[in-house]
Amino acid sequence: MQESTVHGSSVHGELTEAAARLAAVGERPAAPCPDPVNAAMIRNWTQALGDPGGWDGVAPPAMIQVWSMQGLAGPRQQGGSVADEPLRLLNEGGYGGVVATNCEQTYDRYVKVGERLRSTMRFGGVAGPKKTGMGEGYFVTWYQTWYDENDERVAEMMFRVLKFQPRKRPDGAAGPAKGGGGKAGKGGKYPLQPAIGPDTAFFWDGVNNGELRVQSCDDCGALRHPPGPMCPSCHSTARGYVVASGRGEVHSYVVHHHPPVPGRTPPYVVAVVELEEGVRIVGNVLGCPPEDVTVGMPVRLVFERMDDDLTLPQWTPAGAPPPQEEPEPGPGTAEGGLEIELTPTFVISTALATRDFTPVHHDPGLARAQGSKDIFLNILTTMGLVQRYVLETVPGAELAGIEVRLGVPAYAGDTLRLTGERVDEHTLTVRGAVSLGDHVTATVRLKAEER
Amino acid sequence: MSLSGKAAIAGIGATEFSKESGRSELRLAAEACLDAIRDAGLKPSDVDGLVTFTADANSEIAVQRELGIPGLRFFSRVDYGGGAACGTVAHAAMAVATGQADAVVCYRAFNERSGHRFGQASPSSRADSTGLEFSWHLPYGFATPAAWVAMQARRYLHDHGATSEDLGRVAVAMRRHAATNPKAWFHGRPITLEEHQASRWIVDPLHLLDCCQESDGGVAIVVTSAERARDLPHPPVVINAAAQATGPDQMMMFGYYTGDLGALPAMGNVGDTLWRQSGLAPADVQTAILYDHFTPFVLVQLEELGFCGRGEAKDFIKDGGIELGGRLPVNPNGGQLGEAYIHGMNGIAEGARQIRGTSVNQVPDVRNVLVTAGTGVPTSGLMLGAA
Repeated sequence: MQESTVHGSSVHGELTEAAARLAAVGERPAAPCPDPVNAAMIRNWTQALGDPGGWDGVAPPAMIQVWSMQGLAGPRQQGGSVADEPLRLLNEGGYGGVVATNCEQTYDRYVKVGERLRSTMRFGGVAGPKKTGMGEGYFVTWYQTWYDENDERVAEMMFRVLKFQPRKRPDGAAGPAKGGGGKAGKGGKYPLQPAIGPDTAFFWDGVNNGELRVQSCDDCGALRHPPGPMCPSCHSTARGYVVASGRGEVHSYVVHHHPPVPGRTPPYVVAVVELEEGVRIVGNVLGCPPEDVTVGMPVRLVFERMDDDLTLPQWTPAGAPPPQEEPEPGPGTAEGGLEIELTPTFVISTALATRDFTPVHHDPGLARAQGSKDIFLNILTTMGLVQRYVLETVPGAELAGIEVRLGVPAYAGDTLRLTGERVDEHTLTVRGAVSLGDHVTATVRLKAEER
Repeated sequence: MSLSGKAAIAGIGATEFSKESGRSELRLAAEACLDAIRDAGLKPSDVDGLVTFTADANSEIAVQRELGIPGLRFFSRVDYGGGAACGTVAHAAMAVATGQADAVVCYRAFNERSGHRFGQASPSSRADSTGLEFSWHLPYGFATPAAWVAMQARRYLHDHGATSEDLGRVAVAMRRHAATNPKAWFHGRPITLEEHQASRWIVDPLHLLDCCQESDGGVAIVVTSAERARDLPHPPVVINAAAQATGPDQMMMFGYYTGDLGALPAMGNVGDTLWRQSGLAPADVQTAILYDHFTPFVLVQLEELGFCGRGEAKDFIKDGGIELGGRLPVNPNGGQLGEAYIHGMNGIAEGARQIRGTSVNQVPDVRNVLVTAGTGVPTSGLMLGAA
C-alpha cells in the first residue's frame, strides 16, 4: 500500500491505480441480506409508497435493493466496501461533494416470499475529471448483483455517483446571481424565468389562462411574434392579440446535450415552431423521444407548469393522444400523471420502508446542516415510484428493468409529478418533476406478456 | 467621401493564447496593446484613441492609465459580442480618416476560459430590450451559443442537403491550419473527419468539434492614417473597406422569426458594403478570415459574401477548397476553432500578417484579405489590402 499523502494533482494517478486494482478483483460477496424475502417488509413498503399492492407472493421488483440493506445497526451502505477506496481518495483530493446520477436495475425474475437472497458487488470504474454542472468531478460506478439459493442471478443494479469539487464562485458577472441557476433554487422556483415587461405581459397572462396569444396590430391587422410596442408595418401603437389555434409545425429544432442548463435534464428538444397563423415561436417538444422530431413535423400546443407562478407554452406531436386518455386512473392519478405530495411523513416512512436510515432522509436538522434545503426522497423510493407509475399506466405489466437518471432533489414539501410516454410495446419513458425541475427521468423496459 | 484607403493597420499585438492566463483581464489588455504599439514603432504617448467591445471588461480609461497614455481624443465601444471585432477597426478608421484621432488602438482581452465562459448557460431576467429578447428563449433551456447556432444549422442542412460531414470538413480544415501555427492552442493536433463524427454531441446537429474552443488572451490592433503608416516599420495594411450591418428583424443570435434560417442577412449586408466600398470582387481576394465560432456559419458566410451561390458551400469546401492551397484558403491561422477564441480579433491580426507576408501559414501573393466578425448577431467586416 502506498503511504504518500494525496494532493490534488496526484489524485488522478492514485485513483487510476486503485480503479485498476479493484476492477481486477471482480465480483465479491457483499454483506449478507439480513432477512428472507418476507410479506411484512413488502406490506410496509407498499403502504409507505402508496403502491396498490396485489403482489400475491412475489416482491415488487423495485424493492430488490431493500433486501440487502443493512438497516440502522449495520454499516452505512454508502456504496458498500467495493467503491470505498476511490470515494475516500476523492474526498481527500478535494472532491468532497457527492450526488447519485444513475441507477439501472435489471430484473431476471421477480423474487418470491420465503426466498433467501445473497448479493455481490463489483467495481465498475472511474471516469474523469469531467466538467459538470456541479463542478469538476469524477463519476464512480459499481454494480450489485442478487442471486437466489441456486446461485441463479435474479437481479442486477448499476449505480453511479458523481464526486465533485464544489464549484468556486465565478469571479465575474457570470454566476447565477439571482433567482438560482443552482439546482436548489430558492423557494422551489424554476431557475429559468422570463423577464416580463409592459409590452409582453399580455402574452404571459394568456399562458396563465391557457391561451397562446399572438400580438395583432389594431390598425393594419399584422400579426407579430415576439411582440413589441410599435407595429413595424404601419407604426401604430394600438395593439391587440389573437388566440392561436395551437396547431403548427416544426420549422427547425435542436437536441440539447451539453453543457448542463439549470432546471433541465438533457437531452431535450428546442424547436422553432411555425404556427398556422404564420408566426414562429420557440418552445420545447415534449412527449416524444428527441430522435422522433423532424423538420416539418406537425405539433400541437400544450402547457407545462414549471413552478407555482410560471407556465410555458410547449409543443407535442400533433398525433400524440391527449394525455388523459388512460381509462382507469389509479388512486392519486391526475390528468395523465401521478401526483405525490411529498409530506415529511411520506419522505420518512418510505426511507424507513426501504431500510435506508441515512439521516438526510429523516432528520431535517442534519439535512440542513449538510447543505440541503430539507429532507429529501431516497433513491430506493424513487425507483419504487417509477415502478408504481408504470404499473398504474400499464396494469399487469411485468418489468424487465428500470434505468433512471437522477436530477434535482425531491424535497419534503414539494410535489412529485410523474408523467410518461409509451415509446413502444416494451418501453416507457417516465419523467418525475418537482418544482426545481426534473427529479428523475427513467426508461422502463417491460417483458413480453406472460405473467 | 469614402473611407476606402484612408486608414491602415500599422501594428498588431497579442498575449499568448491559453486556457488559464493566470493574470487579470486588464493586464492582458495592457500587454496586448503595448505589444501592438511597439510593433507599430510607436510609443503609448503617440496613441490618442482606444476602441473596444461593449462586452470587454477593461474600460478605455483603465487601459489608458496602465499604458500611461497622457490623454485620449477618441474612445468608443462596439456592441453585440463577437460581431464587434471588425467594427472596432471600422470606428478607428473613421476616427483617423476624419482627423478625430491620429493613432487608435483597438483591443479585446478576456479570461474567457478560466473566468466567465460564454459557452455556459446563464439565466437572465432583466426587463430591458435584450433581457426581453432572451426571455423568449432561455425558459426553454435554450441558453447557449452552440444551441442558438445549431437551430439555424439544422434548417440550413435540411434545406440544402448538407450533412454533419460537411460541417466536419470545416473543422478539419481549421485544425489542419492550426496544426502548423505554433501560437495556436491546437498546434500539432490536426483532426480527421472520423474524429469529428465520433466527437460527442453538444447540441445536435453540432458535435463537440463543430464548436470553437474557449480561450484566455488579448489581441490589439493599431490603426493610423494610410499616409502615416507608410513611415512606420511594417508595410501598411490598408483598410480598403470597413462595414457594420444588421439584417431585417435583427436579434442577438435569434434570427428565427422571419425569413430564411439558413441565411445570415447581416453578413450579406456587410459583404455588399465591402465589395462596393473597395471596388473589389470575390475573385480579387486571396484569403479570407471568416468568423468560425461554430462550423455551420462558415458555410453560410461563403454564400452571403458571394464566394459561392446559396446552398453551394458544401461543394465549395470539398476537396480542401478552404484549406491552404485550395480555391480560397480560409483562416490560415486556424481560426477560432484552431488558434484561439479571442472574439475575432486574432483573425484581424492574421489578416494583417497575410498582407505583410509574415504569417506562419502564408498564402502566396496576397493582395486582398476579407475579414469578418461574429455571426448571428449584428456584425462587421473589413477588406484589407497591400499599399
